[in-house]
Amino acid sequence: MVASGWLSKETAIIAVPIITLLFGILIGWLGQRSGFCSIGGFRDFFMFRHTRLLYGYLALIGGAFVGYLVFWLITPSAFENFFWLIGKGLMPVPGAPANLTVVAYIVLAIIGGIVVGLIGVLLGGCPLRQVVMTSEGNIKSLCFVIGMSAGAVVYTAWVSGWGVALLKGLGIA
Amino acid sequence: MAETRAKTEEQSSCLDTLARNPLYVGLVIGILAALMQVLLISAGGPEAYGFCVACHTRDVVNDAVNSFAGAKLAIAAISQNAILPVMTVVGVLIGAFASARYYQEFKTKTGKAVSYIWYLLGGLFFMIFALFMGGCPYRIGLRIGYGDVVALIGLVAIVAGVLVGIKIATAMAEREG
Repeated sequence: MVASGWLSKETAIIAVPIITLLFGILIGWLGQRSGFCSIGGFRDFFMFRHTRLLYGYLALIGGAFVGYLVFWLITPSAFENFFWLIGKGLMPVPGAPANLTVVAYIVLAIIGGIVVGLIGVLLGGCPLRQVVMTSEGNIKSLCFVIGMSAGAVVYTAWVSGWGVALLKGLGIA
Repeated sequence: MAETRAKTEEQSSCLDTLARNPLYVGLVIGILAALMQVLLISAGGPEAYGFCVACHTRDVVNDAVNSFAGAKLAIAAISQNAILPVMTVVGVLIGAFASARYYQEFKTKTGKAVSYIWYLLGGLFFMIFALFMGGCPYRIGLRIGYGDVVALIGLVAIVAGVLVGIKIATAMAEREG
């Protein structure tokens, strides 16, 4: 079954850049006003017991769950595999390299998560914060965003293949 | 006339109070991400893809490289099928710039040349490891809301990475005195 939402396929393929752009503009505005930051939330909590940003990130998870639940009740066909754990078990939602074992995905999540948290803390913000700070005129954040863009090409062209080969060589993929 | 203006300012500052509270901002992002899926999923997957700084940047950059350099770098199905890829990150750049200008908070901040290199490398490795995990912390949050256990493990790992990072940062600060 092909997933179908409120817009037909013909409309949706035209609407994708427009709707995501508007959605991004709103998030950028709100992110600039609130200083929203996921990694910063954990950092502030562990260093100063400040919960302001942390509650923001937890609200994102909660808001996403409620949003998915409500829209799933209205239009189940747009959320084929909600609630994921019940239908698909431990396999993750696609996004990481395809066709690996559950163990390999967990290994990738652990390694990836640790590096993401580490870099985020040392350079003072998660990617959203870096993008917002770029728009506020921070040249260091601009370098981060340029680095991220280069990283996307480097990952897709080479590193994802190496990572998968390594996991297969170790016998866990 | 003056009264109306005062009223509008009061209303806008009331909205701004909400916008400055991360709690409401988080809720809005989560719900809008779900709304985006119900609107646009017909264009293609994956699910729980409403907002992700890492993946959406990858889609835009790889699509641009594909178009201008004739490469065949993989992008998400939704960006592949649509006339243009997901533009969320471009939107964030525009929205944050507009807001920073509007509230007169735009200020060019420079750093040392060596810090630029660290940020470039940091961004590069951040992107690579985020994509191995299948998303930046935001998509991880959306995936947790969608019921993905591996994403929850990823979040625990992010918290572990944050704790290690705090240790390193504290040690470096102490050494510099």
